[in-house]
Formats: sequence, C-alpha cells, structure tokens
Amino acid sequence: MEPLFINLAEAFTGWMISLGLDPGWAEAVLLVVKWIIVVTIITVNIIILIWLERKVSAFFQERLGPNRLGPFGIFQTIADAIKLLTKEDIVPSAADKLIFKTAPMFFIVVAVMLYTVIPMGKGMQVINLNVGLLFFISVGSLSTIALLMAGWGSNNKWSLMGAVRSVAQMVSYAIPLAFSLLGVVMITGSLNLQDIVLAQDKWWFVILQPIAFITYFIAATAELNRGPFDMPEAEQELTGGAYTEYTGMRWALFFLAEYTNLVAVSALMATVFLGGWQGPWLPSWLWIIIKTYAIILVFFWVKWTFPRIRMDHLMSFSWKVLVPVSLGNILLTGAGIYFCRWMGWC
Amino acid sequence: MNGQGLIKGLAITLKHFFQKEITEQYPDVMPELAPRFRGCLRFEFEKCIACGICVNSCPNDVLSFETEKRDKSKKKKLLSYTIDFQYCMFCNLCVEGCPTSCLSFDHDFELSQFKREDIKMIYLRPEGLDEAQDSPADQEEQKDKEQKQIAAMLKALQKSPQKVLSKLLEGEEDINILSELIQSDQKTAGKIAELIVKDKEKAVKVATGFINKDRKNRAQKGENGEGGDKDV
Repeated sequence: MEPLFINLAEAFTGWMISLGLDPGWAEAVLLVVKWIIVVTIITVNIIILIWLERKVSAFFQERLGPNRLGPFGIFQTIADAIKLLTKEDIVPSAADKLIFKTAPMFFIVVAVMLYTVIPMGKGMQVINLNVGLLFFISVGSLSTIALLMAGWGSNNKWSLMGAVRSVAQMVSYAIPLAFSLLGVVMITGSLNLQDIVLAQDKWWFVILQPIAFITYFIAATAELNRGPFDMPEAEQELTGGAYTEYTGMRWALFFLAEYTNLVAVSALMATVFLGGWQGPWLPSWLWIIIKTYAIILVFFWVKWTFPRIRMDHLMSFSWKVLVPVSLGNILLTGAGIYFCRWMGWC
Repeated sequence: MNGQGLIKGLAITLKHFFQKEITEQYPDVMPELAPRFRGCLRFEFEKCIACGICVNSCPNDVLSFETEKRDKSKKKKLLSYTIDFQYCMFCNLCVEGCPTSCLSFDHDFELSQFKREDIKMIYLRPEGLDEAQDSPADQEEQKDKEQKQIAAMLKALQKSPQKVLSKLLEGEEDINILSELIQSDQKTAGKIAELIVKDKEKAVKVATGFINKDRKNRAQKGENGEGGDKDV
C-alpha cells in the first residue's frame, strides 16, 4: 500500500512517454494532474469537514447535529453546496466590482497553494521545495490581502471593519507563527519539509519544542480566523465581517478557503511537530491524514469551548505574550543546541 | 497559574462531548410528558351538571355552554359545551373548579389547525343521552323523590283505598274488591302504590289482574260448597 500513489504517478508518466510525449512535458502534465487531484481532494474533504464540524459542535453542546440527509446526515453539506451554487449572485451596486469579484478567488487560490509543499507521504509532494516552510508561511500570510480586498471592495462599514481587524490580527500573529517554527528549523537545519519529517524519526518535535507547538497552535488559530480568535468574522457584532456582502458561491468560496486553510495548517502542524507521515504499520499517506484530522478535531474542540476574545486583548496577547515567548523559545533552542554540541550529543 | 481556566473549560466541553444528547427528536419520537402535563382541554358531557363554575372561573372567556330548562324539575339540561381553545392559557382554574371533574387536561399537545374556526371545540349533546342517563347525582335525587312519593301513596291507599282507587279504576265492585285486598295484604298495597307513582297504565293492568285473580279465588271457594249463599 505504501508506494501506491507514487507507483500510480510513475505509471502515468510512463504511459505519457509511451504515447510519444517528451519526458519534460510528461512531468508538466503530471503536475497538472497532481493539482487537479489536490483540488478535488480539498473540495471533497471540505464536505466531510463541514459535516464533521457541525456534528462535533453538536456533540459538544449535547445536540444531535445534522441527521436528516443520509446516514448521520452526511449528505447535508452536499445539499448546502447545491443551495449555494444555485443562489443568486448579488454584487452590491456601490461595490468596487473588480476587487469584490476577485477577492474570493484570490483567497481560495492562496489557500490551495499551501498544499504544494506539504508532504502527503514518503516522497509524496506536489513540489519538493527546499524552502517549503518559508513558502508556507509567506503564502499563508497572503490570505490577509484577500480579506482586505473583500472588506474594501464590499463598500460596507461592517465589511471594512472586519477586514481591518483581520489584517491587524493576521499581521500580529504571523510573527509568533514564524518565530515558533524557527526553533524547529534551527534543530533540523533545513527549511525543506521532507527533511523536517525525516529529522523526527526518533523524537517528534512536539516533545523537543513543546513551547513552540503551543505558540504555533495559538498563532495558527488566530491566522485561521477561528474561534476564539474569530474577531474578523464575529457574526454577533460585525454580521460576518468581510463576508457580509457576499452571497451564494462567492461566499461559499470564502468558506471553502477557510476550511482549506484549516486543513493546510493542521497538516503543517502534523508535519513539523507530530512526525509528519512517519508512523508504524499504516502507509505514510494514511498517517498524515490521521494526524491532520486529530489536530483539526483539537481546533474544533478549542473553537467550541472558548468564548471570543476581545480585540484589544487579542492584540496585546500577541505582542505581549506570544512574541516574547516564541523569541525566548528561539533563545532556549539555540542555547540547547550549543549545549548539545558542547556535550558532544549531536 | 495562568491558563488553568482554559484547561478546565476544555475538560468541561470534553465531558459534554461524551454525554448523551438531550435533543428530543419530536415527530419521530414522542416526548415523555409529565403526568400533570396540560395538553388539550377535554370535556365529558355525561358528567356535566351545567353549574357554570368553569365559565365563571375562566379568566379568558374560553368556556361557554347552552342549557335548556327541563320539563319537570327546575334542573338545567345541557345542550352544548364550547371550548374556544385559542384563548386558553392553561391556568387549570376550570379543572380545579369543576365539582364533577368533567374537565381535564390530556397529553395531546398537537393542537394546531389550518383554520381559526377549527380551534373551537364544540361538544353537542350526545344522541343516546336521555333523562334516564342523566348525571348520577341527578338520578339519585330522582329516586329519592320517587321513594317519598311511593311512601305517601301507600299511606293514602291504606287510609282511604276507595278514594285513591276511584281515580285508577271505574267499576265500583272492582274498587271494593281491591280495597279489601290492599287492606288485608301489605305486599299488594306496596306494589300498587309503586306502580301508581311510576306508571299509571301498568298499575291499572296489574290492579285488574289482582281483581280477576281474587274473583277466581272466590268463585273456586263457592264451587267447593260455600258459594251457595253468595249466589242467593
């Protein structure tokens, strides 16, 4: 089972070459196919994820959750997707039309881009970038721009307020996010995610870097605009923040992108802190899925437990707690590495 | 320590995660109702004595009924009973007030209707419900009254049989025979008195029967040898 997908890819390129295609072009076609597969997986995965979140949140509140359509209500999300697809597409007359229309597309494209570097198994990656982690952090921060575009383009005070909040929040939290990953990079000596996974064959980095894991988790929650850091959306006070004016499929794209981001960030957490695709007995691509879903469930757990944090507390928490703690972690890690070298352990 | 509350909160939600859902899947599974749950207000026509306590106790004018004077007594006869349920606030005052407990709340709470008029519940007098089937309290009273009448009649019969019986029978001879019988036999007197009160026609029949029987007896006596002097 282990090399299933790799063998499939090789068989596909072999078939393309046997048809008389240049090997370089065959690689290019394979890349496109990989992209299509990634996007398909994302879309199908979102359907499961939304169902899962509704079900999990229901269980936390001792409700039943969706249970009408199909077994355990699993077709509820599909029905919702059909509804969203067939809804009228409304663009406000006062909106900045170009920005308004491009914002959701930009958001989803940025979200999907994150999947290029995540190792989905042993040797399974869309592109094996040697600066994979850097790519992930920088592209992940781009979604801020999409939210700002949506808020500005909607020409609505709630939207703009939500967008401004999300920009402030994401910019502040991108710093501890990057800093917390730096400790891992210092230990591994590489930004390549496959290398980081391979470096965890003995010890997962969650054991070596527990502080980094916690700070990354908190910062990632804020980056994802998830509860308790969902100030930019804040239905109760901002009527949905930057998404206020969006309807139908445009709104659904934002929704889709949020969950796509959630999976990507969880997958990165699994890769960097929980040993990635490494694990006994099961094939590597199943391990990463299991770990990713475990982290997603923790995200759900946190979201449905804590109330929304106040905006000023949110900012002060980032600058006064998370940034110093993650900086201290870097210092500690550096000192630890030098101590190890001095003792001759590594 | 900072963050203790967060962990406590996570523990609480986790505990709830594994607890049983409290959702009632209502149309599929009917809810379990408390024994004194107030659902639909029901009315039992047979028990009602039309006292009007329920109507007076209702704060929202939900209840109303129509009555008719009975032929013989002063009692009212209930014709119809209306519960205009849309105004009911389930205060239970009518149920508490009812002396014969003919009003009660049942467990049916699915009371929605398509039309406003359909909310009104009108109970009409059932077909089979005639005087005999009146309320038990009523029946008892009726019986009591009858008993008194019978006793009075018996007294009158024993005191002056001719006078009473002249209203019942026509032939003077018959009256004489019967009055003799009544005075001699307590049982016959009681029976005839009861029948006079209850059913006059039957009383006449029975009385003639008694007279005929008596005549036969006398004729038999005559045949046996002593009847000679009567023929003369």
